[in-house]
Amino acid sequence: MTGKTDFITMQVIRYAMEQIADEMGHTLVRTARSTVIKEIMDISCAVFDHKGRTIAQAHHAPMLLTGLEITMSRLLQEYPPGMLQDGDIIISNDPYMGGQHIMDVQLFAPVFFEGELVGYVGSLAHMVDMGGASPGGVAGGVNEIYLEGLRLPMVKLYKGYKEDKEIFGILQNNIRVPHVTLGDIRAMASCNYVGVRRLQDVFTKYGVETVQDATAMLMDYSERRMREGLQAIPDGTYTGVDYIDDDGLSDDPIKIQINIIKKGDGIKVNFDGTSKQVKGNINCPIATTYAGVYYTIICVVDPSVAANSGCYRPVKLDVEEGLIVNPRMPGAVASRTNTSQKIVEAMLKAFSTAIPDRVVAGSHGQISTCAFSSYDKKGRRFVYTEIQGGGAGARPTKDAREGQDSHLARFMNTPVEAAEMEFPVRVECYEFIPDTGGAGKFRGALSMRKDIRFLCDNVSFARYGDRQKFGPFGLFGGSEGAMGRFILNPGKPGEKRMRSKGLDTLQYDDVISLQLPGGGGYGNPLERDPELVKQDVLDGKISLATAKDTYGVILNPADLAVQQQATEQQRQEMGKIALK
Amino acid sequence: MRIGIDVGGTFTDIVAIDDVTGQFHYAKTLTTYPNLWEGVLEGIARILDKTGWTMDQVNYIVHGTTIGTNALIEKKGAKTGLITTEGFMDVLEIGRVQRPNEALYDFFIDNPLPLVPRYLRKGVPERVNAEGEVLLPLDEEKVREVLQYFKEQNVESVAVCLLFAFQNPAHERRIAEICAEVFPEAYISLSSEIAPEFREFERSSTTVINAYLQPVMKRYISQLTKELEKKYGKIDLRIMQASGGTITAEAAEKFAINTVNSGPAGGVLAGSFIGNITERKKLISVDMGGTSFDIGLIDGGIPKITSEAKFDGYPIKIPVIDIDAIGAGGGSIAWIDKGGALNVGPQSAGAAPGPSCYGKGGRLPAVTDANLVLGRLNEEYFLGGEMSLRKDLAYQAIKEHVADPLGMSVEEAAAGIIRIINAKMSKGISVNSVEKGSDVREFTLVAFGGAGPLHAVELAVELEMQAVVVPPICGGFSAVGLLVSDVRYDFVQTMIRSSDDIDLGQLNEIYKELEQKGIAQLTAERFNLQDMELVWSVDLRYEGQSYELNVPVDRGENLGKKDVEKIIERFHALHEKLYAYSSQEEEVQFVNLRVTAIGKTPPVEFKTESLTGKNGAEGLKGSRPVYFEGHGFIDTPIYERDRLLSGSRFTGPAVVEETISSTLVTPGASCYVDEFGNLILTWGEV
Repeated sequence: MTGKTDFITMQVIRYAMEQIADEMGHTLVRTARSTVIKEIMDISCAVFDHKGRTIAQAHHAPMLLTGLEITMSRLLQEYPPGMLQDGDIIISNDPYMGGQHIMDVQLFAPVFFEGELVGYVGSLAHMVDMGGASPGGVAGGVNEIYLEGLRLPMVKLYKGYKEDKEIFGILQNNIRVPHVTLGDIRAMASCNYVGVRRLQDVFTKYGVETVQDATAMLMDYSERRMREGLQAIPDGTYTGVDYIDDDGLSDDPIKIQINIIKKGDGIKVNFDGTSKQVKGNINCPIATTYAGVYYTIICVVDPSVAANSGCYRPVKLDVEEGLIVNPRMPGAVASRTNTSQKIVEAMLKAFSTAIPDRVVAGSHGQISTCAFSSYDKKGRRFVYTEIQGGGAGARPTKDAREGQDSHLARFMNTPVEAAEMEFPVRVECYEFIPDTGGAGKFRGALSMRKDIRFLCDNVSFARYGDRQKFGPFGLFGGSEGAMGRFILNPGKPGEKRMRSKGLDTLQYDDVISLQLPGGGGYGNPLERDPELVKQDVLDGKISLATAKDTYGVILNPADLAVQQQATEQQRQEMGKIALK
Repeated sequence: MRIGIDVGGTFTDIVAIDDVTGQFHYAKTLTTYPNLWEGVLEGIARILDKTGWTMDQVNYIVHGTTIGTNALIEKKGAKTGLITTEGFMDVLEIGRVQRPNEALYDFFIDNPLPLVPRYLRKGVPERVNAEGEVLLPLDEEKVREVLQYFKEQNVESVAVCLLFAFQNPAHERRIAEICAEVFPEAYISLSSEIAPEFREFERSSTTVINAYLQPVMKRYISQLTKELEKKYGKIDLRIMQASGGTITAEAAEKFAINTVNSGPAGGVLAGSFIGNITERKKLISVDMGGTSFDIGLIDGGIPKITSEAKFDGYPIKIPVIDIDAIGAGGGSIAWIDKGGALNVGPQSAGAAPGPSCYGKGGRLPAVTDANLVLGRLNEEYFLGGEMSLRKDLAYQAIKEHVADPLGMSVEEAAAGIIRIINAKMSKGISVNSVEKGSDVREFTLVAFGGAGPLHAVELAVELEMQAVVVPPICGGFSAVGLLVSDVRYDFVQTMIRSSDDIDLGQLNEIYKELEQKGIAQLTAERFNLQDMELVWSVDLRYEGQSYELNVPVDRGENLGKKDVEKIIERFHALHEKLYAYSSQEEEVQFVNLRVTAIGKTPPVEFKTESLTGKNGAEGLKGSRPVYFEGHGFIDTPIYERDRLLSGSRFTGPAVVEETISSTLVTPGASCYVDEFGNLILTWGEV
C-alpha cells in the first residue's frame, strides 16, 4: 500500500466516481431530444483521471465505453495541458482521431480544481443525423468517409462555459434535423458539466492527493484481478476466424482472424490473416477494434471487475494499419458494428478451446440498422430507425435467453405502437421464427422477424446488416444458428431478397420483412435433455421433425410424451452415424 | 377509529389511531405461514385488546398485503394464457431486447423469463390501427378455439393484450364476452382495463402479471373476509395499493397487480405524512431493514408517482409510488473479493441465520455486526431486550473475514464496513434523485426501518441534506401509511395528439368519461361528492421524445383553447425545471389523459405533547464508548427514546435507543424531540 489512502477509501471513492458517471448518463437520457438516445440509449459516459485513464463508466454500451479511452489518449496529444481552460468542451466524431463512426459524437470536458487539471469527463451519443449522403447515415455500400457526414476534428465547442457560435453554425448548416441533433449535443454538454461539478466536489471532499492515490490504486486493483484471471487460463496461441458477408459493393467475403497469445498473466492479440480494408463502409476504426477486444477479454476473464483503465494493462494489441480493423483515410466506416461484432465472435471462437466453460456460441454477430425516410401525410420529413440484433448464442450451462440482445451494444427495440403512431407504417408481425436456433445440448436463440408495411411512397430504405451468408457458429457439436435475410414483399408476387447493405426505394404497400440471424448451439444435440426438447416442441420453437432428426428425441405426437426407449435407440443410431 | 395491518416477511405490524384523541397504538405479531390471514386476525385481536375498543367502534381497516408481491417473486401465480393480435405472440418474450444492467460484461445474467410460456400464448386474427379504426374484424371462431385449448391445458387465468386496444377496446371486450360464455370459470384481464396506455410490451407485461396474480389474490381475500365476518360481522376492509391509495377488497381481486410492492409504498406515504405535520415539503424517505434499502422521494408534500416502474425485472405500467430499492441492510454481508477489495452486500444474512451476532448460526460479518462492534448498538437491548446480541461472535466474524485479510484492526475493519455501505446508500439516494430531476441538497431525510436511523445522519451529512427526521415507532413505521391513506382509483386513456391538433370535443369527452368512472366507484363506496377529490392530469412530451411528463389540468366543464394553452405552458415550465431547458417553438404532444379519483378519509391528527423538555436528562440512561468516523471511540451518552420529553434538545455524540431501532447522533449534530415525538437532527451552522 502506498501513498495517502487505503483499500476502504479506494472503494468509497470508486462508488463516488461511478455515481458521477451514472448521474451524467441520467442527465443525458433525460435531457436529450432523440429517440436514439432516450429510448434506444445508444450512449456512454465516463470519468477519467488527469492522464486520461478511465476511472469509471456508466452502465451503457460497452462498445462505446471501452473505446473512449482510445479517444482520450488522442485528445491529450491534440490538447496538451495548458491548452484547456475551465469550462471548455471538446467535440469530435472523427473515426480517424480515435472516434467511432461519424454518427457517434463525443464531448470531453477538462476538470480543474484549484487551478490544476485533475481529470476529464466524457460522453458519447449516437446522433439521428450528421449530414452526409443518406438520412440517418446508415446506408451500406458507401465508399468514402466524405459521404458519411460532417466530420469534426477535435475542436472546442464550448470555451469557458460559452457556446462557440461558429461551430454551432457549421453544424446547423450541415444537418438535416438541426433542432434534434443540436438539442442532443447541448444535452451532452450539460451532462458533461454535471460531471465536471461532481468531480470537483469529490476533490473538495478528499483532496487531490487522496483522490489520485485512490484512483491509481483502483486501477492497480482491476489490473491485478485481470492478471489473476488470465493466469488461470492455459498458456498457448489460440486462433479464431469469422467472416463478414461482403462490404456492400462487391460480393467478396471478408475474413476476420484473431490470434491470441496468452502467456502468464498477460495477453497479446494480433490480426494477422485478417482482410485488408475494403471500399464499402464496413471498415472498423481502431477505437472500435480495441473496444471489441477489451470487451471480450473482460467478459471471459472477470465480468464483475471494476471496469477501468487497469483492466486494459495486461492486454497488448498489435494491429497493422491498412487492415479492415485499422483502416487508412478515406476508408468509410459507418457500418463498423458488423465488423466489431465479428471481432468478438472470432475471439470467442479462439478462447473456446482454452476456456470452454467461459464462452458462448456464435450470436447474431451484426447489428441490422435500418433507416426509413420519406414524407408523412402532413408533408414533413420523417426518419424511422430500426436497430436490431437477433438471437444470442447458447451457453455452456444453459440455453440462450430468447429475444435478449448479446454483445457490445446495449439498445432497445422500437415498440410497434410507437412506430405506427409516429410514422406511416403498419407492422404486421414481430415474432420468433421456429427452427432457427442452433441445435445443441443447449440451444441458441431463435431468429426474430419484423414485417413492416409502408403507407407512403418513395421511402428510402438505407441499411446495413450481416450474417446473411455466414451463420453464427455452434460450439462443441452444437450447430449453426440461422442466417438473417431482408425480404421485400414476402409470399407475394415480386417477392425479392434484398442485399444486406445498401440503399433502395420502397413504394406504398410494400412490405419489408427483416429476418435477423439466430444464435449458435452449444454441445451435442444428442445430449440435450429430452424434456427440454419436448418443451421446445410444445412451445413451437422447434418442429416434431427436428426433435427426431436433430435431437434424436421421439415424442408421442398426441401428447408429446417422451418415448424413452425409442429415443435411446434413435440417439444410439445417430451417434453411430456421426462417428462414421 | 381506524386500524392498519401491514404483513411483512417476519412480523405483521398493526397500528391504530383514535380519531378523537389522536392517540396512536402499535402492536406486532409474527407473520403466519402459509395462512397469512391467521396472523392478520391475531393482530386485530391484539390491537383491540390493547386499545380496549370493540369492532363496532372501528370505522374501517386498511390492509397492506404481500400476497401478490410474494407470488410474483416466488413465481407461484396462476397458470395463465395470453391472447394477442396474430403475429405478435412473442412480444412478451422478446421484451425490449436490452440485457439487464448487471449483464454488461456477463454472459450468464438474463432478463426474467416471461410468466406465460410460448405454448400458452396465442395470436388471433384482428387488427385495429393507431387511430382506433378496425382494419380487420375479430375472428371469433379462432377466439373460441383458443379458449377451448386453454381450458384443456388447465389454464386458470386469461390475459388479453391486442395492439392499440387502448384506442379501441371493442375486440378485447368481445373476447371477454366469449370467454364468459365458453370458459366462465376462467379469470380474465384485459389490457384496455388494466393499463390502457401505448407500448405493447409494457402493457402486455402489466396485464399478464395481473392475470397471474388474480386467482391468488381472490383466494386470499375471500378467505380473509370470510374469517373476519365469522368473527366480527361485516367490516369495511380496504386494501393498500402501490399507488399509496386504497381500494375495496373486491376491486383488489380484479386489479391484483395494484397491490404489488404496496408495503414500501406505505412507508413513503407515512414519510410524506410526517413531512406534512412537520412542515417539510421536500423529503427523501429511506427504509432500511435487513436486506433492502428503499428510497422514496416526496416533493411538495406528495410522494413521487411513476408509471414506468419495474418489479422483479418486469415492467409494471400503472401509477405507483416511485421506489428504488438497493441491496443494503443490517444483514448485508461484508466480503473481500479476489482483488482484495472490501465489498458489502448485496448478499444478506436475512433474518435467518441473520448476522453473526444473532448467534443463530450465521458466521459471516454483516453490517449489524459492524454496528455492534463500534458500540452503536446495545447488545442487551436489541428488539427492546427480547433478543441479546453476541458481540464476541460479531468480533470474530469481522476479524476472520475482513480485518485479518486486510491487515487491520477489527474496529478499523468494522468502520470500513460502515463507510462502504454508507457510500453505497448515498450513491443510491443521489443517483435516484438526479434521475428524478431533483437536487438532494434541498431535501430532508426521513429515516426509518430497524437500521435506518443508525446510518441516517452520516448519509445526510455526506449528501449535504437539510436535516434528518426519525419518526416515532420507526420499526413499524410503514404501517402508519395505511392509516393516513385515502381511497384512490386511477383512470387513464391514451390520446396521442399534437397540441395544435387537439379535438376539444374528444378531450372533454374522455375526461368526462374517466371522471364518471371515478365518481361511480366512489359513490358505490358511500363517499359524498364533497369528500371526493377528482384530479385531472395529462402526460405530455415534445414530439419525438419517449418520456412523458405528467402535468396537472384544472378540472372544468368545458376545456377550451385557453385551457390547452395553459397546460402547455405548465409543461414547458416543468420541463425547464426538471431538465434545465424548454423549447417554446417545438410541438408538444398529448399522450395520456388521467383522472385520479380520491375518496378523502378524515385527516389524521397526531397527538401532540407540550414542549416541556430541556436537555433530555430524563432520557439519559448511561454511557458507553461509541465509534465515530474521524473521532474514533468516544464515551457517548445513551438515551432511552420513550422517556425523552418533547422539547428536549441535546448535541451529539449520543445514541437514542428504542425498541426496534437506534438513532446515532454524530458529534456536533443536534437532536431535538418535537411535539409529535419525532427526532429532528440538524448539524453545521445550527
